[in-house]
Amino acid sequence: MNILGYCKKLLSIVNKQKAFLALILMFTAMLFFKTNFYTPLNLINLMKSGSVLLILAFGITIVLVAGGADLSIGGVMVVSGIVAIKLMNADVPMAIAIICALLVGVVVGMINAFFSVYQKTEPFIITLGMGMLLTGIAQQLTDAHPVSSKNPGFLLLSNGKLFNQIPNQVIVMIGVFVLTFFILRYTSFGRNCYAIGGDYEVAKYSGINVMRTKALAYVYSGTIAALGGIMLSSMLNSGNSTYGENTALLVNCGVVVGGTSFAGGIGGAQHSLIGLLVFAVLQNAMNMVGVDSYVQLLFQGIVTVGIIWLDSYGRKKRREMV
Amino acid sequence: MTSKYEFKKIFELIFKEYLILGAIAILVLVTSIVQPAFLSVGNLSNVIRQFGPLIMVALGMTFVIIGGFIDLSVAGIISLVAVATVYLIDIVGQGPALIIGIGIGIACGILNSALLLTSGALTQAEALFITYGMSLVYGALALIISGGSTQHIFWSENNTSLFELIGSGSVGFFSISFILFLICLLILYLLQNYTYAGRVMRLTGGNKTAAELCGVNINRSIIFIYAISGLMSAIGSIVLISRVTTASPVIGMGYETNAILAVVVGGTTLAGGKGSVMRTVLGTMLVILLSNCMNLLGVSVYLQYVLKGAILVIAIWMDNRKQS
Repeated sequence: MNILGYCKKLLSIVNKQKAFLALILMFTAMLFFKTNFYTPLNLINLMKSGSVLLILAFGITIVLVAGGADLSIGGVMVVSGIVAIKLMNADVPMAIAIICALLVGVVVGMINAFFSVYQKTEPFIITLGMGMLLTGIAQQLTDAHPVSSKNPGFLLLSNGKLFNQIPNQVIVMIGVFVLTFFILRYTSFGRNCYAIGGDYEVAKYSGINVMRTKALAYVYSGTIAALGGIMLSSMLNSGNSTYGENTALLVNCGVVVGGTSFAGGIGGAQHSLIGLLVFAVLQNAMNMVGVDSYVQLLFQGIVTVGIIWLDSYGRKKRREMV
Repeated sequence: MTSKYEFKKIFELIFKEYLILGAIAILVLVTSIVQPAFLSVGNLSNVIRQFGPLIMVALGMTFVIIGGFIDLSVAGIISLVAVATVYLIDIVGQGPALIIGIGIGIACGILNSALLLTSGALTQAEALFITYGMSLVYGALALIISGGSTQHIFWSENNTSLFELIGSGSVGFFSISFILFLICLLILYLLQNYTYAGRVMRLTGGNKTAAELCGVNINRSIIFIYAISGLMSAIGSIVLISRVTTASPVIGMGYETNAILAVVVGGTTLAGGKGSVMRTVLGTMLVILLSNCMNLLGVSVYLQYVLKGAILVIAIWMDNRKQS
């Protein structure tokens, strides 16, 4: 009886932590291939290449928890990077350029909040349109050419290393993770987000200022996306309108893969970390094994569909139980 | 007093329902005043020619959106059908290649709906992500089949007259692709308004639970909706490759957002249940005329993207206000 209980518990843990299981599976599988996967250099590289997407993911986690969605982050990312570089090339000091770039994110977050919170439009579609608009702005700003910064300090912003080991970008990512984790877990704003995502009406009648809380979540997501854009542009020392093409949907999928639900009310920063790592490790591992890049794309699609399918299926089962 | 009230009501109806006709009229008027070349026969036949691929995809998307779902996989389907069709011309000849290409489109649509149904995903958000993932899969298959390179139809040793006919043939003033569009429109219009299946699709979009309780088989309806979307994407893809005579594995990129734009601007409600293929024709007309007019007025291509995004956001917003 006791053993059976343990088995049931184990099964439910596995069912809840699909992404974690996938991650462990991949790490174990890589032990059997003779590659450079398990070298410190590769693992740091993996964190570095994944960190921009992770930063964006933490931003939208709060929005998804509050029952919204933000697909404009890809557009925000490219526009903020381009704005930062353009301002620096116009002899604006780096600090002010970065603040202006972050303001782009704040403004876009406010516009998203206006449409999807105060006007109650479908957030998925409205932010998709917003992303399209922002990509157009990025193309207009750069004439669809990549622009690069003339300020050497900008390159160091994300490529500089702490103790000559860990790139700054990873540290920023960890900082954003801690901030998001703290906000969601230990502030009333974060708790309110869970309440709103869980049941909007109940949250409203229990005295939470639902509109303002949800709007703040969008502004947070926009700002963090702008920060991610600055880190990306700094890493590559260039801004280009094509960087953000699939970013928004990929990051949203990653967050959902981690266990944060579209329906809202479930999830957290730690879940998003695992979900996005699945994608980052998958890509890195396939590169190490030497899988053709088109086949990689195929795997990425299959993994995305598979995990979202499982997420929906789990919700269907829960509905049927009730 | 009554007449005044009625006048106001009619005005409101026109303002709410047929705003898009006004927008098209203003656009045409302004452009033809500033740039008289707009009204030349050459330009107008050019506009009619552009009706080809986008309208087909948008017509299919209309059914999906009326059904309360969304389909981002059309980009992948277009690329896959384009590459597979051109690849097959060499092997099985042009006629079978065309039929297999359309079959692939329908199969992709049915696969999408099967994934949605088996997982019990009934919301737009879930459909959005699943179809996006499938778009990645179809796009990747297109890249694998073609090896990433662009293929030319006329490189084939087999006869390709059928594609030449679709691409550049014309009957009088109208191109073949335009006639093809008229035929598709007629069939879809009849399907939507005068058949049981069409009414059921609207019910599915309006309220799934209510539809199910009324004894409607919504699963069959959803499969049908996605199959139509796949079919129309495949037809659009074939019209597209016939016109540009090449098939690149990324040829479908951007069609999903443009199709959604055309459908929503036309006035089909994103919440589902309301809308028609005729509205989509108007919406597509606005999108095509917009780029034509902007090109004539000398507005940069990038600003056009900004404008399209802004129009999409505003159209969704207005649509939402109309509902509430």
